[in-house]
Amino acid sequence: MTAANDTRLLGGRDLTATLVDRGPFLVACVMLIALVAIYGSMRRGVFTLEELNIDAAAAMTLLLAATGQTIVLLRGGVDLSIGGMISLGTVIAATQFGESLASVLLWCAIILGIGFGVGAINGLLITVLRLQPFLVTLATWSILSGISLLILPTDGGRLPPAWMQFGNGIFLGLSTSVWMLIVLLIFWIWFRRTRLGITIRATGSNEKSAFLSGVSLLRINVVTYGLSATFAALAALYLTTQTGAGSPTIGKDYILPSVAASVIGGISLFGGRGELWGTVIGAFILTIIGNLVFVLSVSSYWQPIVSGVILLIAVLASSLAERSARRSVA
Amino acid sequence: MNPIVRHRAIFLAYFGMIALLFVTSLFSPGFLSGSHLRSMTVLASFIGIVALGQTFVIIGAGIDLSIPWVLNCAAILMSLIAGGDNQPLLWAIPIVLGAGMAVGAINGIGVAVFGVPPIIMTLAVNVILQGSILVYTGGAPPTAAPGLIQYLAVGRIGPFPVVAFIWLALATAATVVLSKTAFGRQLYAVGSNATVAEFSGVPIGRTIILTYVISGFTAALAGVLLTGYTGQAYLGMGDPYLFTSIAAVAIGGASILGGTGHYIGTIAGAFVLTILTGLLPALNLSNGALLIVYGAVILITVSLASDAMSDIAGAIRGAFGRPQRPPETTEANPT
Repeated sequence: MTAANDTRLLGGRDLTATLVDRGPFLVACVMLIALVAIYGSMRRGVFTLEELNIDAAAAMTLLLAATGQTIVLLRGGVDLSIGGMISLGTVIAATQFGESLASVLLWCAIILGIGFGVGAINGLLITVLRLQPFLVTLATWSILSGISLLILPTDGGRLPPAWMQFGNGIFLGLSTSVWMLIVLLIFWIWFRRTRLGITIRATGSNEKSAFLSGVSLLRINVVTYGLSATFAALAALYLTTQTGAGSPTIGKDYILPSVAASVIGGISLFGGRGELWGTVIGAFILTIIGNLVFVLSVSSYWQPIVSGVILLIAVLASSLAERSARRSVA
Repeated sequence: MNPIVRHRAIFLAYFGMIALLFVTSLFSPGFLSGSHLRSMTVLASFIGIVALGQTFVIIGAGIDLSIPWVLNCAAILMSLIAGGDNQPLLWAIPIVLGAGMAVGAINGIGVAVFGVPPIIMTLAVNVILQGSILVYTGGAPPTAAPGLIQYLAVGRIGPFPVVAFIWLALATAATVVLSKTAFGRQLYAVGSNATVAEFSGVPIGRTIILTYVISGFTAALAGVLLTGYTGQAYLGMGDPYLFTSIAAVAIGGASILGGTGHYIGTIAGAFVLTILTGLLPALNLSNGALLIVYGAVILITVSLASDAMSDIAGAIRGAFGRPQRPPETTEANPT
């Protein structure tokens, strides 16, 4: 084989690799721009700071849940228990918060702690008993939903007004949700380069070689699912500032969207591939679809249809890209 | 290999079912009466029929999460077409069952031909169906179920419920297909190792698509029958069956990784779930407690059937000096 041939081959492979890595993310960016353009052409005042504040608030619960899901997907698993954890977080908050700042802060810490504990149990069961993440988290989802129903049988409870004001407040022109978005992006810039972040991704790409390189699967699984459930608890806390109540059944509405936002944003379901920026784009795509359905004043039932179709398009694109990459390597 | 060892998980499921029946009858005396057993069998039939398709899909290493709204759409479409009369059922039922199979085919093609992960493919189809039927009906409940459908769901032949005969026929067919046909063997091959199966000449795509078609068929059939049981189709009637169909298969001893399990185990799984659902009101426990028990039962049964657990059992047996099965490799031969 000549040198020229060789470099061309390498160049071709690099291009394919970049496309597989970045393709789905780029598709998501184009989709978001198109959706925002359509939305902007139908309504006045879309391109303002105020609209950004509103949309970030609408997307934030989903985005927090999807951040946890993204970490688990990068590890090559899936976490259905976030549905139960979100419900549990809202009902604990709505029944225990009280009025004083100290008790609110204490219970926030407890809820986040419960989140990490629940996730750690998921990780333990998956590793020690060598069970499928899907089944384990399905079971813990059911258990957590049951506990939520025992704590608060129907939607209700009470949250201090100051808590809602904090969640919907504006600081320096930006809403709490936009500030959270900024913090989340900074977190990811730091986290993806940490030892832990790299190990999670490596384990997701190839569990066997990660294990042979000395990665403790138990530790990685406990931390990965622990983080996922902690983010679900955070999503629950944010959700209570929006709804002002606890709900023992609300969490299940976030399971599919959390996976969908990640996958639309280019997180591979086979592990190891993708970045949180993609998930952010995915969460905003799903949110803008909701806005569009509202602006078009068609039946709100169109929202799941459009979201489902977009999810299918995104996942088809990424699996076709991945398949062509595998073929060109083989 | 000893058949009890090989089918350990299925035996465990039946053991659990009988133990549960026994314990339950201690707590509530009327539990083993004929009428109560009959009503339990009817409820177990719906789970069993839905879980039949799920069993095939899971053996093929997939999962079908589109069951809830396939079931729901079938129930609503059947009610709309029939409009409460028996006459139109002659073509309404084939249309509805055919539509269920068509949805299954779409799932299967997405998974087998385009390589979309089953969880995403079937969940997406589920929400698309949900949205479509809501847009179509505008959220309004359709008319009552026709008399014939009600007879199929709650009628009796002698002391036995009609729906149990339908379940029995389907269960027999499923058992024969899994154990005696080429398709059954190919399915286990695809589920345990798709690459090996492909090199052995198994038509992988066709096999996988067929499992989803079967699942679409059984979900649609369950939707039609369930409408007769409740007397009317309603929105959300399929939602509980997502969890119970997977739980019945898991309790019945099939690995979610594919390649193992049998419908015979799923039958026990359907009964276990039905007994549990009946037990908790008898003990004055709430819906929340039921969800907790469901989750715990899934965790316990899949743990008992897991590889890790059989390793532990082997270690215990070794520690107590009981002779183990001789290892298959010659180097490791004791003596």
